[in-house]
Amino acid sequence: MADSDDTTQGALEGRWVLALDGSRLPERELIGGKAWSIARMRTLDLPVPPAFVVTTAACAEYLRTGDLPEGLDDEIDAGIRWLEERTGRSFGEGDSPMLVSVRSGAAISMPGMMDTVLNLGINEDTMRALAAESGDERFARDTYRRFYELYAQIVLKATPPPLDPDDDLEAWREAIEAAAPGATAGGVRDQLRDTVRAVFDSWTSRRAKRYRKHHDIPDDLGTAVTVQAMVFGNLDQRSGTGVLFTRNPLTGEREPYGEYLPQAQGEDVVSGKFTPRTLDEMHNSVPDAHEQLLVAARTLEEANGDVQDIEFTVQHGVLYLLQARAAKRAPAAAVRIAVDMQRDGVIDPDEALRRVAPAQVHSLLSPRLSDGAAESAECVAQGQGACPGIGIGTVVTSADEAERRAGEGEDVVLASATTSPDDVHGMLAARAVITELGGSTSHAAVVGRALGLPSVVGCGEGTVTALAGETVTVDGTEGRVYRGALDVVVPDERDDDRLRELLEWAAERSPLAVHRPDDAPEGDIVDLDAAADGADPDKLGDLIAGRDGARGGAIASEEGVAAALAAGLRFIVAEPTLPPLLAAVHADQTAQSESKTD
Amino acid sequence: MRDLSLVLHGIAIKKYGTAEQVADITGLEPDRVETLLAEAVEKGRVSEAKGKYMLTPAAQITLKGEYAKAYGDLREDADFMAAYEEFERINVEFKQLITQWQTMEVGGQTVANDHSDPDYDADIIDRLGEVHERVERVLDRLAAKEPRMTRYKEKLLEALEKSEDGDHKWVSDATIDSYHTVWFELHEDLLRVVGREREE
Repeated sequence: MADSDDTTQGALEGRWVLALDGSRLPERELIGGKAWSIARMRTLDLPVPPAFVVTTAACAEYLRTGDLPEGLDDEIDAGIRWLEERTGRSFGEGDSPMLVSVRSGAAISMPGMMDTVLNLGINEDTMRALAAESGDERFARDTYRRFYELYAQIVLKATPPPLDPDDDLEAWREAIEAAAPGATAGGVRDQLRDTVRAVFDSWTSRRAKRYRKHHDIPDDLGTAVTVQAMVFGNLDQRSGTGVLFTRNPLTGEREPYGEYLPQAQGEDVVSGKFTPRTLDEMHNSVPDAHEQLLVAARTLEEANGDVQDIEFTVQHGVLYLLQARAAKRAPAAAVRIAVDMQRDGVIDPDEALRRVAPAQVHSLLSPRLSDGAAESAECVAQGQGACPGIGIGTVVTSADEAERRAGEGEDVVLASATTSPDDVHGMLAARAVITELGGSTSHAAVVGRALGLPSVVGCGEGTVTALAGETVTVDGTEGRVYRGALDVVVPDERDDDRLRELLEWAAERSPLAVHRPDDAPEGDIVDLDAAADGADPDKLGDLIAGRDGARGGAIASEEGVAAALAAGLRFIVAEPTLPPLLAAVHADQTAQSESKTD
Repeated sequence: MRDLSLVLHGIAIKKYGTAEQVADITGLEPDRVETLLAEAVEKGRVSEAKGKYMLTPAAQITLKGEYAKAYGDLREDADFMAAYEEFERINVEFKQLITQWQTMEVGGQTVANDHSDPDYDADIIDRLGEVHERVERVLDRLAAKEPRMTRYKEKLLEALEKSEDGDHKWVSDATIDSYHTVWFELHEDLLRVVGREREE
């Protein structure tokens, strides 16, 4: 892109269309959440590809009259000219074609809104120009193909067959037209207008209407449409694409963590066809962009008060940030980051507690193989770990047998070539499931995860069914099956200094006391394990009403804690104590924030 | 299909199903299903345990023959088959979506979705709604030739709306008529109608 200085070129400020140039931060209600975060990144002086927004006012007018408002076409054309000036590229023609992405975005994000359309602006001419410019014909053809696949699906709601990358354009057009008649008829400006209209229409989709009704959001607010120039990471050696986490999202360590793929587009990172490089290697090929990226990472983490997941592209050595959001994190990282950020003074203990879920602590404290147990054991099968956890039992090869023997009190592991709905009753009874065929989307994997059942899938033909009658240990985290019953340890929440810190904060704030079994006070305590209906969540309220405390059953789950709070119990008895304490603190935080907004 | 065959078909779809579930999935009256089930048990085509039914091996084979007779025309019907093929294409996306519901990518590694991130879950349910919009159109085209397909549209929407309302077990819980359960049964039903085997 030619120039990222915002003041040199003419402003774009129409009745329906606004430039997102960082000169000011318009109201979220007017430009929607996505455009707002682009504008905000520009005001933080971060490099973002140029973009303009069709405002919610245009949508409101469309909803009122049923037609795109008068003058909108001209203003969109002016917006496109503005993007062309800033990128030094041209829309729908020329040697350096400009492609744009089109996104919906209301002030409040809601379901049912149209997905992003990418690569709009590609046609036969610009496809050829892009091939010449990048020296990569395949990429240009893929861009054309992907545009039509997305456009047919998202704008026209059809599901065309995947297009064969080796077919010619004529064959592609035929396949698209068969599934979505009219998709390939118009030019790029028609496509842009139809996409804007489809965004406006998605405002009145079943899902969006239903969501607004449930959340008391007025129907006439409307959504905005963000049109943003696309940048290319595959134009030359000094181009590339990558992802950066401001801290390690698996462990929570403070080092930036990420990967960089030189001369590649975003999809290449996901496809797994290429091996990404480390950020250090990025430093060697594009040092300026690398340095700018680390600065941007610090700016964003500080401005947003949380670990960021940043997608970026480098085009001709110039860095562009595509997206920044709070990073997803593994349980260990959630705990470490929350406590570290409190220690750094970025967040207070209340916020730190808010950022750790009871399920994450449960997962950290779930049983695992003891140190060294796996090394000395014989691994008899290995596949893809589909659902984490340890399951130990005798291998049986039919669901009926699993159900019968489990009913007699035996621990069983269900082994099968594949599983089908016929086997669900056996899976319900088993301690683990292992299969020979299929991957992470196979029936066994899907159902195993739904049941929280340790699962290893795709171990290879003839492997696991041959283990019938043997006792095995299934490690669903590592995807391994060991001979015999291995030693399992249960981590203790008091052994980790960060968990101890969270425990202390949670205990100070929790509206409900949680005691360990060896430390339980005297009183009128109901034991749900001993009660006839103790496992029935609907009966929970009645069983604990009027008591001092409760133990057993599901009392330590989020539902159990909610019931305990509702019944006014003084305490519950559970181990580990941190998950129910967190559940109680979260319930209290939610109640307080609701009473504030009321 | 004749009502008796339809009941057997219902059991083939709803494995270990109750009479109520078979009535629900076939659209037959519950009383009628009870009668036909008793008849089928008598004839040794169905076995019953604790109010749940399963086909006997012989009945499984007979049923396959019935499909060829009952659905021979549909298998030759270009509109029906085109809609079926579109369903298979959406099914590929659907399976990936359910995997994303159950697992999440964290820094390039797959970990179980512990549902601690409401935004992540809401995004998946939203995409499920997008898939639903497309599969509804396909089901309309299928139902134009085989009207009982409409039942799946209702059941899918029911599970979807419960999921949208925040009761997340309606996405993929295998023990209830969750979106995944109904979808899986729909797929099984279609495979039997068109006479194909499931690919893992």
